[in-house]
Amino acid sequence: MTGPGPGTDAGSGTLAYDETGRVRFHASSVADRNQPVFDAEWQRRAFGLAVALSEFGHYPWEDFQRELIASIGSWQDAPDDARGRWEYYQHWVTALAAVIARHRLLDDGYVNPEDRRRPIRPGSR
Amino acid sequence: MSEPFSYPDDREEASAAQVRALEALLIEKGVITSTTVDKVLGYFESEMTPLNGQKIVARAWVDPEFARLLTSDTPTAIAQLDLPEGMTGAEGEHIAAVANEPGVHNIVICTLCSCFPWPVLGLPPYWYKDPVFRARAAREPRAVLTELGVPLSEDTEVRVWDSSGHSRWFVVPTRPAGTEGWTEGQLAELVTTESMIGVALAKQPSAT
Repeated sequence: MTGPGPGTDAGSGTLAYDETGRVRFHASSVADRNQPVFDAEWQRRAFGLAVALSEFGHYPWEDFQRELIASIGSWQDAPDDARGRWEYYQHWVTALAAVIARHRLLDDGYVNPEDRRRPIRPGSR
Repeated sequence: MSEPFSYPDDREEASAAQVRALEALLIEKGVITSTTVDKVLGYFESEMTPLNGQKIVARAWVDPEFARLLTSDTPTAIAQLDLPEGMTGAEGEHIAAVANEPGVHNIVICTLCSCFPWPVLGLPPYWYKDPVFRARAAREPRAVLTELGVPLSEDTEVRVWDSSGHSRWFVVPTRPAGTEGWTEGQLAELVTTESMIGVALAKQPSAT
């Protein structure tokens, strides 16, 4: 999973530019053959989970997005030698865990949106 | 971009295990069912694809009134077409189109994360999420476009659209010359995902 350059392993650390610093797309990224979107099933399921929970009203998408931006931002702000290889979906998983915790989806007593008749905690969103 | 050592695969394995655990817990707690994620993924993978964007652009190329509505009220315009149900779900209500025109080229990025108009373009290509691409396209879009094979003349203005939770942009590329009288179906074939992100032009008729 550590392809060294273009034409190898899209999405798992291969940067969108080649050894000379020029931007170059992975061969699969042109002419609409922009797959694979996911390198592994866990990435696909992480994506599906985050979207599904938002679509079914467990949190507004913006709340997930805020966590994603925070995780990506902290990676980008870290020194080169203090951060791991860029892996987009690891940020996605971090954000997913954070938004699930923040909205207490796994707490005892959590009530699904479709079962809520009135706000459970006045003042909360 | 030296990498002193490769990172162990256990980081990847840890992420995979964390996702499995989260889904299992959410099912156990009754927050979702065992089929929820597959249903959502199935919908994304079968219905939310660039084919929708291709049809939208092709209609805009043949129908000036639709083209005007598309850039002024994108969701209303999209609702006029016979596209899969749910175009306004999955953040579709925030989709906004910008059109290339003589002297203006548009490019879409997301500087903070990876916002993308899923219902019309599907999931973003991997490079769209890349930190280097995101930073460079914001800082020097003209240079990046040149490297990608879209050299623009000095008098062409480059407009960079930063997608966000509130606006998920896509580009209506310029209709290629030599396509007079083409059907929408034929025209749609010329519209690539890359051209709707603004990092390419629509295909030329001779290239198909």
